[in-house]
Amino acid sequence: MLLPGFLIVFPLVVALLLFCIRADKARDVIVIGGAVVTAVASVAMVATNIGVGYTPIQFSSHAIDYLCTAVGVLIAVVVLYFAVRFKNLFAGALAVVQLVLSLVFEMGFAHGLEVSNGLYYDSLTILMVFIIGVIGSGICVYALGYMKDFQHHQPKGEKDRRPFFFGLMFLFLSAMYVIVFSNNMIWLFTGWEITTVCSFLLIGYTRTEEALNNAFRQIIMNIAGGIGFVVALFASAIQMNTLDLNVFLTQGAAHPEIAVLAVTALAFAVLTKAAQMPFHTWLLGAMVAPTPTSALLHSSTMVKAGVFLLVKLAPVLAVCAVPKAMVVLIGGLTFLLCSCLAISQSNAKRVLAYSTIANLGLITACAGVGTAEAVWAAAFLILFHAIAKSLLFLCVGTAEHHIGSRNIEDMDLLFERMPRLARFMMIGIMCMFIAPFGMLLAKWATLVSFVDGGHIVMILLLAFGSAATFMFWTKWMGKLSGIAAKPQNVEVTVHKSEWAAIVTMVFLVFVGCLFLPLISNALVEPYLLGVFGTDLQTLSDDNLWISSFLSAIMIFVLLVGLERKSKSRKVNVYLSGITVDTDTRAFTNSLSGSTEATARNWYMEDYFGEGKLTKPAHIGTATIIIAAFVVAIAMILL
Amino acid sequence: MTFLSVIVGTVAFAILAPVIGCFLAGVDRKVSARMQGRVGPSIMQPYWDVRKLLSKESASVNDVEGVYVTLALVLAVLSGGIFYSGGNLLLCVFVITLSSLFFIVAAYSTRSPYAEVGANRETLQVMAYEPMVLLFAVGIYLALGTFSVSGILDVEVPAICKTFLVFFGLLFILTIKLRKSPFDISMSHHAHQEIVRGMTTEMSGPTLAKVEIMHWCENVLFLGWAGMFFVWSNPLSLILALVVAVAVYFLEIWIDNNFARVKWQAMLRWSWIIALVAGGVNIAALMIL
Repeated sequence: MLLPGFLIVFPLVVALLLFCIRADKARDVIVIGGAVVTAVASVAMVATNIGVGYTPIQFSSHAIDYLCTAVGVLIAVVVLYFAVRFKNLFAGALAVVQLVLSLVFEMGFAHGLEVSNGLYYDSLTILMVFIIGVIGSGICVYALGYMKDFQHHQPKGEKDRRPFFFGLMFLFLSAMYVIVFSNNMIWLFTGWEITTVCSFLLIGYTRTEEALNNAFRQIIMNIAGGIGFVVALFASAIQMNTLDLNVFLTQGAAHPEIAVLAVTALAFAVLTKAAQMPFHTWLLGAMVAPTPTSALLHSSTMVKAGVFLLVKLAPVLAVCAVPKAMVVLIGGLTFLLCSCLAISQSNAKRVLAYSTIANLGLITACAGVGTAEAVWAAAFLILFHAIAKSLLFLCVGTAEHHIGSRNIEDMDLLFERMPRLARFMMIGIMCMFIAPFGMLLAKWATLVSFVDGGHIVMILLLAFGSAATFMFWTKWMGKLSGIAAKPQNVEVTVHKSEWAAIVTMVFLVFVGCLFLPLISNALVEPYLLGVFGTDLQTLSDDNLWISSFLSAIMIFVLLVGLERKSKSRKVNVYLSGITVDTDTRAFTNSLSGSTEATARNWYMEDYFGEGKLTKPAHIGTATIIIAAFVVAIAMILL
Repeated sequence: MTFLSVIVGTVAFAILAPVIGCFLAGVDRKVSARMQGRVGPSIMQPYWDVRKLLSKESASVNDVEGVYVTLALVLAVLSGGIFYSGGNLLLCVFVITLSSLFFIVAAYSTRSPYAEVGANRETLQVMAYEPMVLLFAVGIYLALGTFSVSGILDVEVPAICKTFLVFFGLLFILTIKLRKSPFDISMSHHAHQEIVRGMTTEMSGPTLAKVEIMHWCENVLFLGWAGMFFVWSNPLSLILALVVAVAVYFLEIWIDNNFARVKWQAMLRWSWIIALVAGGVNIAALMIL
């Protein structure tokens, strides 16, 4: 009780402090202090609860119920204020609809349903606590240095909104803890809505036209998802007579026929929050925000809240055919299509965004399959994606401020212009897509669970999607790895706080990959044992240890092996014997002048461009969702 | 214990595969020459070539290229060790992909315009064959009931009876993996269809020798993939597998000498279509029946 309560309340207090404080020095101290305390408390929570099973916490309070209602009203007011101020009436109307629905629900339906165990935790919660507490706080520390540079680059006279920014970051963390600890579905919903509105405000941070448009796109899609959540609350209260998440899950798994609408509606809410197609455009739009926001949304919060809830739903989805089909198909299609779309992108943040959406698709599909093996894979996908993706965002953010671009084409020679950063970025990239690193082991388990479950379509989507994944990561890595004679090292001015956060993430990659079998034993298998009654492991311990041994060698080579000066004689690059200048790759052209050889990566727009794929993807995935709802409603009425 | 057998297998593979691969390369050149109406070099020619490369001065455009290539070679050997010690087929597939990645990064790191073109094309080649390779592993799993390669010795009927479409698909993409024309678009041993030397443009001396040895090891591994379809609990079936491997190699040489290089669009399209049809249909049938 003590630690969960502390983890929810403490970041909230820090957030309130940060909203009020304008001085840079004081903010630095509070953010670093707040982040360290949050991280330490999270690690303490993990350390004291290794292998924990489902642990309910008896706690209910009418004051908190009323507070939730008040927060709901406040959120609607905030959205309405912005909707009126920036003339986006649709967003305002949706906010009103959601508010009315949730008030009707809370006044009319929720009253008889007491939830005595308001909070709970189990091993999955513990895993999420680690991700939120360590990675989330790391990103907050990183933001200190980044936002100083960011403010510096802003046009003169632009208002300094950093107190607002840092306040929102910590509020976000607090809301995430609410989501992972709440057993009362109304409290859970409140946390869910706070994350929605926080990301709305963070995306619109710069108040430029583009930022506002994208922020409104995000809020419209996520309020639609929020309405789905309210529908699920109605269905749960009316049909299953409970608002206790644990009871809801056990009853749902036992009687899937009565849970079908509630689960379909909840899954819909998850699809919007986890930015699955056709709702993926909000996460792409979120790229206009400062990079720490993207890092936070992509790795440890927001989208992970969505898939966390879906993984909790896995045992119900396993037996509930309609939402299962919807979730598995949408997840699989999203994985394939977004991996292909990523090939056509040259903006590093956009590549990262598509890769996030693709991996969330895979997690979604795993949760939908709902077997113990699939959930094992989903848990590791969540963990390693959080680590590697935050590392990559932090690297791209720092690179952007030092080379003046977030375009991958401009990262030529980064291996020497920013030697440390480029190596860290390469580690992050490798952790995302290739054996023996964590993400690939999770994908391996995913493949096995699809094969064992007989999901032929999913196997094909995974096989082709993985191939596309190889393409877009490798060409990025190739761009980074180029070496020419002595370009200027531009990374000496990187802020210490940025290095601290980046090195933390690299350390987490290392520890995560090296001790994957132990993490599996300590955190993931206890959850499977509690939920599925089995602690089976898809991949044998031997194969896991071979992989962790290999990961250690790979990281060692990248960080140490590449520093070695070889004794070989240095020669110039071959330019058909007509070299003018070897450093710039200039050669004598047919008019006896000099031409520089330039090479761009392949983007294959004709095959994988957004213009080609986005529209059919929207139509296909939207059809699947509509069909699922039609069938779910029909099953209730008939 | 898998860990120990993988180590033993890797050491054995490191010693034997280069010898066998070198012999195969010699045969390749001889057979190719005969197909083209030439006498061809001695069977030992690839060995002499690599020995000469090893004795040459080490010269490179940067310090890291050699590290990447060494890593790629070590991983290729490890992958072969995993396969021939009866280890996990998927792990073998993943490790050989990692080896390809480092070879590609080695080419990129030189920043030679020609090597960059080669590296881009090699990346595309991996993307072209990867789906079929994964479907091959899945097909074998469904036929054997396990991802362990050693499982082939326990089954009553060889995998080919259930997975001949997957076998066909694998043969198709093996042309890419063995670097044979028409799909040798990242680096070709046919001088007439190559822009300089693709990926290996900047590699010379001992580094180039490592690339050759890696290619030999890969060939031995990939022919093992083809042969494993024909093994079952009868020990004599190993001889059949050997015959099949030789036949496959001959077929690939024949294809190499009879088809001109295609554009990457055709390669990507055909590899994916064949993976989808051959792999997809075969696996669907295995799952449903």
